[in-house]
Amino acid sequence: MEDFIKQYGFLIIQMTFAAMLGLSMYLPLMAGQLSLASAGFYAIGGYIAAVMSTTVFAVPRGAPFPIEHLLMEMLVAGVVSAILAVIVGVPSLRLRGIYLALATIALVEIVRVVSLNLEITGGAIGIFGIPQPFNDKFSYGYIAFPMLLISAFFAYRLERSRIGRAFVSIREDELAAAAMGVNPTYYKVLSFVMGAVLAGMVGAVSAHFLNTWNSRQGTFDASVLYLAFVIIGGSRTFVGPIMGGLLLTALPEVLRALANTPDLFAAPVAKFLSDGRWIVYGVLIVIGTIFFPQGLITPSLFKWRPLKRWGLGRAKPALKEETA
Amino acid sequence: MDFNVLIQNVFNGLAVGGVYAIFALGYTLVFSILGIINFAHGAVFTLGAYFTYAFLGARFGFNGLLANQQLPFGVPFPLATLFGGLAAGVISVLIERVAFRPLRNRGADPLLTLVSSLGVAVAIVNVIQYLVGAEAYSYPSLTISLGIPPSVMLGGERPIVIRTVQIIIFSVSMVVLVLLTYFINYTKVGKALQAVAEDQITSRLLGINTDRLIVVTFFVSGFVGGIAGTLVGLSVSITGPYFGIAFGLKGLAVIVLGGLGSVPGAVLGGLVIGLGEALVPAQYVGYKDAIAFAVLFIVLLVRPRGILGRTLVQKV
Repeated sequence: MEDFIKQYGFLIIQMTFAAMLGLSMYLPLMAGQLSLASAGFYAIGGYIAAVMSTTVFAVPRGAPFPIEHLLMEMLVAGVVSAILAVIVGVPSLRLRGIYLALATIALVEIVRVVSLNLEITGGAIGIFGIPQPFNDKFSYGYIAFPMLLISAFFAYRLERSRIGRAFVSIREDELAAAAMGVNPTYYKVLSFVMGAVLAGMVGAVSAHFLNTWNSRQGTFDASVLYLAFVIIGGSRTFVGPIMGGLLLTALPEVLRALANTPDLFAAPVAKFLSDGRWIVYGVLIVIGTIFFPQGLITPSLFKWRPLKRWGLGRAKPALKEETA
Repeated sequence: MDFNVLIQNVFNGLAVGGVYAIFALGYTLVFSILGIINFAHGAVFTLGAYFTYAFLGARFGFNGLLANQQLPFGVPFPLATLFGGLAAGVISVLIERVAFRPLRNRGADPLLTLVSSLGVAVAIVNVIQYLVGAEAYSYPSLTISLGIPPSVMLGGERPIVIRTVQIIIFSVSMVVLVLLTYFINYTKVGKALQAVAEDQITSRLLGINTDRLIVVTFFVSGFVGGIAGTLVGLSVSITGPYFGIAFGLKGLAVIVLGGLGSVPGAVLGGLVIGLGEALVPAQYVGYKDAIAFAVLFIVLLVRPRGILGRTLVQKV
């Protein structure tokens, strides 16, 4: 067990972060809005934590970084992300269509270019030596696991609340939702802000976890990757993006392990598995959208009908009373 | 800013803007027919540049599966550009077959089509990287092979220097623009395209084969995208498999500025953003890549339908 954690502790924490980032993409998608901004807010959150912990909250080299300061940084990252999300969301979400996707792409690119040029973000080199609250990487689980549980519980409750139902009604038919008294712009912006806050907070923890932060964190590519978590995992229930994030982050390691197993694959196949994993991602996204438009995990999986799944049970006699 | 420098920057801006314009037209054509932004367009642009490189008979680098490979023949640059564009067009048609048509036939959510085109883009970019590596490639110098001077001087005492390459790029993109405008407005296929853009169901009832027209649209879009890729590669160099992605994202700003689905809008938007980038003062040059996206935000705030776009009618 100890060896396992030593080897895969880093990966497990990364998988947890990925699950939350998938969730942050899923929240706007609940209201039918494609946002590619999670990577941008993740980058902003990371910069906030990196700058704060190396300036205001600076600790002597090697000294442990107080956890309450980390929580404070997460709070600031969340608030800043929320404000920024309102500024970006309101103009683009009062329109229908793909304007949010375009505005969020613009946001991600602007964040990248600005962080490359500002002095406070360390330019192209970035920020180094971010202080560590824990002695080893796996201990970040004390922050990451509760965070994932809380955000998953939040999403679970959201799906069953008035707000969540308003999101889904906008996704299914915006005009009809508006006619029923749902304010589309308000709820679309709300869903976008929720995703932004989560991504920003994950970024803040991630900056400490990775020890260094630069403009290569949170690019357009990363956004597409997080989108893949949702599309492949499933975009109809919060379990989908979480599973998608966990599985797809583990996938490269699995592929690498497969590629390194001697005599399992011919050499060219093994090389493809390790070098070509992004090709696999891209193809998976296309196959996923065409053959599994709802993703691998759909709400119907949770309905307990063991007999019917094997074609033995009978369909519910739903119309019986009406016909009688 | 010195007047001479200003004129030079304006010329640079026009050359870049011309390429933005023809590249953005590829997005616009597909958008006006399907109402979907084809995110794979940036990848097709990249492919066009690499195809041209291959048709020149030039040798690929040291990384990737095709290391040190080259075609057994090479053609002159203008012909290679044309072939590169045609090959990019064919790929674009294949993309339509694989990633667009299955979803369209099922009447799927446009959001899903957008996502699948993103998937195609990721796959293509990484296939390129897998095949030819991530290093930069540049075309053999045109000015040497064609025997023309590398730059033109205008004026006497303090001449205005303009790179010949910029002039070539600007002229080629203008020729492509004129041909495309002719194709859309004065040929039977072009008129059919406009009809399909107006109303797909009615035009099908009137006997237009929409599926075939969509294939034509993707081919033309890929063709101009591929040529744009070659032109940018000529101006700077092919900086690696990802160079189309950044360009593709700027193309989005161009079409929103001009108005989604508007052909003259795409041209105007391209020239405006090209000029805007060229006129950034030297001390802020690091922020040049953010200009297009800042413009996109302002357009969304002030005039979401773009300069020349039509107001979108909300249909139930």
